[in-house]
Amino acid sequence: MKYNELTRRYFESTSKAGMLPDGFRGAAGHLAQGTWVQFDLRIEAASIAEVRFLAFACPHTIAVSAWLAENSVGHALRLEMPYSIAVLRELFEVPVEKLGRLIIVEDAWRAAAAAAIDSAANAPISVSRADRRVTDA
Amino acid sequence: MNPPIYLDHAATTPVDERVAAKMLEVLTGPRWFGNCASDSHDYGEAAAAVVEDARAQVANAVGAQPSEVVFTSGATESNNLAIWGVAHYYRQRGRHIVTVRTEHKAVLDPCRELERRGWSVTYLAPDRGGRLDPQAVAGALRPDTVLISVMHVNNEIGVIQDIAAIAAICTRHGAWLHVDAAQSMGKCAVSFAASGADLMSLSAHKAYGPKGVGALLVSRARTPAIQLAPLQFGGGQERGLRAGTLPTHQVVGMGAAFELAAANLPNDAMRIAPLQQRLWQGLGAIGGVLRNGDARHCVPQLLNVSFEGVEGESLLAAVRGDLAVSTGSACTSATAEPSYVLRALGRDERLSESSLRFGLGRSTCEADVDTAIAVVRHAVVRLRRIAGT
Repeated sequence: MKYNELTRRYFESTSKAGMLPDGFRGAAGHLAQGTWVQFDLRIEAASIAEVRFLAFACPHTIAVSAWLAENSVGHALRLEMPYSIAVLRELFEVPVEKLGRLIIVEDAWRAAAAAAIDSAANAPISVSRADRRVTDA
Repeated sequence: MNPPIYLDHAATTPVDERVAAKMLEVLTGPRWFGNCASDSHDYGEAAAAVVEDARAQVANAVGAQPSEVVFTSGATESNNLAIWGVAHYYRQRGRHIVTVRTEHKAVLDPCRELERRGWSVTYLAPDRGGRLDPQAVAGALRPDTVLISVMHVNNEIGVIQDIAAIAAICTRHGAWLHVDAAQSMGKCAVSFAASGADLMSLSAHKAYGPKGVGALLVSRARTPAIQLAPLQFGGGQERGLRAGTLPTHQVVGMGAAFELAAANLPNDAMRIAPLQQRLWQGLGAIGGVLRNGDARHCVPQLLNVSFEGVEGESLLAAVRGDLAVSTGSACTSATAEPSYVLRALGRDERLSESSLRFGLGRSTCEADVDTAIAVVRHAVVRLRRIAGT
């Protein structure tokens, strides 16, 4: 399998791998099926402030997850990923056979974003656990 | 940047300098360019002489008679000629073949093609260590069984099958035995005569010889001797079994490589066995690492291990800058297929994918092994951290 330079770079330097203890979490896929992705989002003022990811997956999926974690900061919180599957596929030259794995990335992202949005809907003042902590203080 | 350490000697080996020198001599010398089938002049006779020398070298190296050596383009062709040739020659006698799930594709695919054309094939399962119980062969034989095909050394896990015991069962039943011994030369002792096999496939490039040449040993020990229907026609070379002008330099290369491999076998085995042990101890210490194949019946040149908690394609990608190894999955496409050999041993899909095959060879040294351990450890730890496993 050949990987483009961006894929190799983000596969090899995954500084955003990990979890946010107070982040909003969403996951998709299954280890038993070979692909599993999880995102933790920290939201501040309805914007994405920090992202961490975990992935049991191929290099393309790991690189896309790592890149999303780095490049989504500052974007407004929405259910959709800040970058579409089409854009990610082109950037990382993901083979068509692997599109299903990008859908798993998207599902994990949407699950995390949905958790954040649900929380915001239920919290009249703050939109994140971190904000709530500050407000409470 | 240093090139990756080559640990894929089960896939192919570099051509030995001494072999290359012999080949070059034949390629560039003034005497050997003739067609070895042209006995009407000195050039043809000179080529025929070196071909026959090579035939004798191959035969001596594997305990066969020179007249039993049929040169081919490699083990894949040899396997096809053996299976296809027996199936078609004896099609009136029976149309049942027995083989093993862990065979190379060059055996399984011809068998599947024969199934599509009306033959019946029984695929036996090995035990969890990859060994085939000879009694399983006995249990699979039918009155219409004409051929049993069992490999000697498995190309993924290095497990050696008990060919002599299987041959005895085949002989009693009156069925022919074909042995794919593509991996055997230079890794363990090979004796065609003592094995009891009727057909044996050999490859030059797995034993520091050139690619593009191999042989099928066709026994003359039994009476009546085994017969084969040829795959190709047009010249009657190689006893009518393999038409086409022989590539003199390739054949000479195979002869030289086999002579060297037989001579080096004791030293190679003594030197490489501790390296394999060192590699396994180092990898095993990472934790969550499983060895594939019965270590008690394995050649020292091969080590196949599965890593828990890492994805196979990522594991291979993480080490490929430093190591040239093979993965347990046919990872040439996105729809990576887990190793059917490891699946046949009972490994689950994930562990079958997350395996690496280390093929040690003549150039492998302790420093290579230590580097390999360090590289794999780093990759496994990093991927497990990323996966949260």
